[in-house]
Amino acid sequence: MTHGSSEQNDVPEKPVIITINGRPCRAGKGETVLAVAIREGIPVPHLCHEESLAPYGACRLCLVEAGKPGKTEMTTACTLKAADGLEVITDTPQIVKHRSILFELYLAEAPKSEVIKEMAARYGVTKTRFLKKMETDDPLSEKCVLCGLCVRVCNEIMGAGAINFINRGPYTVVNTPFLEPSADCYGCGACVKVCPTHAVVMEEAGSERVMRSWSGTRVPLAACSCCGMYYAPRELAARTLAALDPHLDQDLAGLCPACRGKRIAEREILARQGGAGNHA
Amino acid sequence: MRIESEAGLRTLQAAGIQKLKPKQPRIAVGLATCGAAVGGRKVYESLREAIDRAGADIDLVTVGCIGYCREEPLVNITIPQKPLVILHRVSEADADEIVHSVMDDQVPEDKALCRVPSWDHVTGVVMQYGKGFANIPLYEDVPFFAPQRKVILRNAGFINPEEISEYFAIGGYAAAWKALHGMQPEAIIAEVEKSGLRGRGGAGFPTGLKWRITRDAPGGTDKYLICNGDEGDPGAYMNRNEMESDPHMLIEGMIIGAYAMGLKNGLIYIRSEYPLAIERLGTAIRQAREYGLLGDNIMGTGFSFDIRITRGAGAFVCGESTALVASIEGRTGRPHPRPPRLTDPEGGLFKKPSDLNNVETWCNVPAIVANGSGWYAALGAANNTGTKVFSLVGKVDRVGLVEVPLGTTITTIVFDAGNGGANGKKVKAVQTGGPSGGCIPLRLFDTPVDFESLNRAGTIMGSGGIVVMDEDTDMVDIARYFTGFATGESCGKCVPCREGLKHTLLLINRIQAGKATGKDLAILQEVCETIAATSLCGLGQTAPNPVLTTLSYFREEYEAKVRP
Ligand SMILES: Cc1cc2nc3c(=O)[nH]c(=O)nc-3n(C[C@H](O)[C@H](O)[C@H](O)COP(=O)(O)O)c2cc1C
Ligand code: SF4
Ligand code: FES
Repeated sequence: MTHGSSEQNDVPEKPVIITINGRPCRAGKGETVLAVAIREGIPVPHLCHEESLAPYGACRLCLVEAGKPGKTEMTTACTLKAADGLEVITDTPQIVKHRSILFELYLAEAPKSEVIKEMAARYGVTKTRFLKKMETDDPLSEKCVLCGLCVRVCNEIMGAGAINFINRGPYTVVNTPFLEPSADCYGCGACVKVCPTHAVVMEEAGSERVMRSWSGTRVPLAACSCCGMYYAPRELAARTLAALDPHLDQDLAGLCPACRGKRIAEREILARQGGAGNHA
Repeated sequence: MRIESEAGLRTLQAAGIQKLKPKQPRIAVGLATCGAAVGGRKVYESLREAIDRAGADIDLVTVGCIGYCREEPLVNITIPQKPLVILHRVSEADADEIVHSVMDDQVPEDKALCRVPSWDHVTGVVMQYGKGFANIPLYEDVPFFAPQRKVILRNAGFINPEEISEYFAIGGYAAAWKALHGMQPEAIIAEVEKSGLRGRGGAGFPTGLKWRITRDAPGGTDKYLICNGDEGDPGAYMNRNEMESDPHMLIEGMIIGAYAMGLKNGLIYIRSEYPLAIERLGTAIRQAREYGLLGDNIMGTGFSFDIRITRGAGAFVCGESTALVASIEGRTGRPHPRPPRLTDPEGGLFKKPSDLNNVETWCNVPAIVANGSGWYAALGAANNTGTKVFSLVGKVDRVGLVEVPLGTTITTIVFDAGNGGANGKKVKAVQTGGPSGGCIPLRLFDTPVDFESLNRAGTIMGSGGIVVMDEDTDMVDIARYFTGFATGESCGKCVPCREGLKHTLLLINRIQAGKATGKDLAILQEVCETIAATSLCGLGQTAPNPVLTTLSYFREEYEAKVRP
């Protein structure tokens, strides 16, 4: 919006105000309607949104009615940029109707997911009329809703590209190429963290981390040179250390976070006392 | 060899006419993929042998397809001073007879479909062939051709698509000369806007407006112009024929568009299932470069533009603009939400603003520039100008490509051109727009075929496939077929399309198995409405149309199959 011709740099930009369900809300520059709603505590269901990733628009749950007064349309809140004067309604009869069907589809797709069941129930959907998916040995425990978040953090944020979508349409699954253990997986666990339905399974097995969901990919762990505890994927730890600037001291580099903390504290104490303490 | 003067272009045209109307007779075999599929190549080879055996002075060439697929293989004969004669249903066994007749300046009249004393190639040239053969019906009296108006298919079946000289002969590249030498880019865009041309890829977006947006987008000349040759709907093959029969028409349209938009990179996206189109376009692009029609300093104007071909792996969804860009960039063909649109800096190919138009959209451009927007706007109907090629297939008597002005009724297409049901059966409905379209029942056949009227009937124009169904067709089965297609082609990104279509298919299968109840019909309707309303891209948004339209127009067929 430009108003006036001689705007100075120090004049603050006109704030963007949108209304959600009649309530005026301030929006940051480039913020999406979904981000505003989340910040304001206005419930809009969503499964594929993640602040650190670009809008994706796959789960279709964040439907809202939005537009200028009198000229609104149903759209997804996560892909809609907040523009000044935008009016948003989160629960029209039309939205409720379509969202309920979408929840029924999710309940059939991920029958084992408690998260989906709870979310659907919050919007009044407790049963599905669709045939529930039945799969034996699903590496994602019949909980995956293909929101794509794991694939996207792995590719776009970690840059590992260990997992991706396989097949298309209703046959789509997420896994490693050729369903073989992945040499590209760092074992960082970002996929586990970001999964909205807790479908991705990861376990620690002694000196290795096992990505159960990803074709049993095994990632060696680094052992703390002090206490011997396995504390991080070996290669990821090495890469992270190599990327630090300035570098970490040699005697800190091989330690687990707990031992590292202890060692730093010891050094502080030594430095203050000006020599070796007698209680080390 | 480079064309740098109008006189040079005219010399090439004169040389081309010598090929189209040589001093000796010319036999041309229709060899687009359709002709080849019914034995056209064998016909060509046996004609070659027959000519050699007889030691006859006859030219033998390949041409594209005039569109009358039911009558193929088609063979044209040009004898000096005589009308061009189209022979139909020619077989290898006819080769000697044809060659011997032609040696006597005759044609086997029992094999003749029609004669063409003169032909309007639309871009300023009316080819005069000659008089005679009065016993053979005139082209315009052949019922299949009578309601047609050939603008896009103006050269298809007449010229050799592998010979640029024959394209010069019919006035080819004169429109590009006129545009690049005589018109400001702005004037060309205004001309296309005034013509009313709307995109032929399905949505009918005004072409001139899209060009203007692309031209005005930031990025200088480093933008992309893309031709969408993905053509993936079952039953649609007009784009294939346009590329196979007249590739230079497409290239000329793209050159004019590139100049109007002021950009230098062109790309044609074709599915790998179209090997002949890829081969012929590749040849045409090489020839155009040799003549200085592509590359640097086109026609001596200082304007530079070139075209590359990118092959798709044949996914229907890759015809969708954002998936198409992903596919060209080497990523999986999955759509993303728009905006950003292709014309936006962030949304285009390789993050450059890009213009995407359908093959047939480009093919209209040289005709518009050659004849003016007024001439074009007078074709067709208000707000739906020009002609459109439809592939008339299914249970119709005369299968083929039908080009008619927009606004022509379904009746005209199916009954006048198509002669109604095959084997005398009664026609019940047509499906337009492939898996994205819907069924229109016979009682609505007065509907004019234009973007808006089809939408009102619950279907879409799509790329122009018209599939005819007769009294024996099970409409529920039709819905199942198209739903199955869309389910298989869904990219799987968003839940309504991925899961919703799967359950739609399961429900239809239940109905077909006699296991469904009235409740299932209600669920079917509900889920289809949600898929249409909430899917991310056009595939999902339109995929329920076959079910929704058959549910509304042929509900009794569903009801007869379900228990109360
Ligand atoms: C699922 C899907 C498939 C499509 N397939 C094609 C296609 O094969 N060819 C085409 O030109 N347009 C296709 N489109 C439309 C394109 O996205 C785009 O609108 C068109 O190419 C623009 O060209 P136009 O303005 O000349 O029509 C498809 C759209 C969707 C949603
Ligand atoms: S509508 Fe279908 S094809 Fe389009 S993005 Fe969604 S799943 Fe993919
Ligand atoms: S959060 Fe908007 S579509 Fe998933």
